[in-house]
Amino acid sequence: MTGRMWIFCGSDEPQKAFPPFMLGSGALALDMEVNMFFTMNGLNIVKKGGAEKIKLPGAPKTLPEFIGIMREGGARMIACSAAFPIVGCKQEDLIAGVECGGVATFVSGAEEADVVLTFC
Amino acid sequence: MADFNPSTIQVAKVVDARGSACPGPLLEAKKAIGTVKKGEIIEVLSGDPSTKVDIPKWATKVGHEFLGAIAAEGYDRIFVTRRK
Repeated sequence: MTGRMWIFCGSDEPQKAFPPFMLGSGALALDMEVNMFFTMNGLNIVKKGGAEKIKLPGAPKTLPEFIGIMREGGARMIACSAAFPIVGCKQEDLIAGVECGGVATFVSGAEEADVVLTFC
Repeated sequence: MADFNPSTIQVAKVVDARGSACPGPLLEAKKAIGTVKKGEIIEVLSGDPSTKVDIPKWATKVGHEFLGAIAAEGYDRIFVTRRK
């Protein structure tokens, strides 16, 4: 690994939901360690059945395909439990492979990261 | 890369990523380089204008060798040697 990226995914609007995956998959290709932190409406991306509903015509892959690439590449996907009550989400609503984290998870990760991207 | 002549090299694998926008061709290149042996060459075909800029950066960062790129009709041909 040649660098660590943290991506703050705070929106389910297609034009904000896709770039984390486009840049994140590129970062994996460049041998970076990638961590994705999903919070607020960004949690809809990692809710069961959620990614299928978010579509961006012209994007090179669908969101479920991008999630598969991130998984295969060993990216960490973290759901922000602080936002669960705000958007009405529970841990059992999340797709497989997504772990839960809180504010300290993101802050400590971001502090150690070489690159932090935010989409919200 | 004006002096690059693809007729002097042997390509082990051609990846046709035309029709896929960024970062599709880069992801295809990454996948393909793992399927050839060290020292062998892949050729990536891409209609995305950024690919010929991105592939050299990727190759440099991860330790492969960018050989060059040439323009074809409506797409680019990009050549990389696997080095690790």
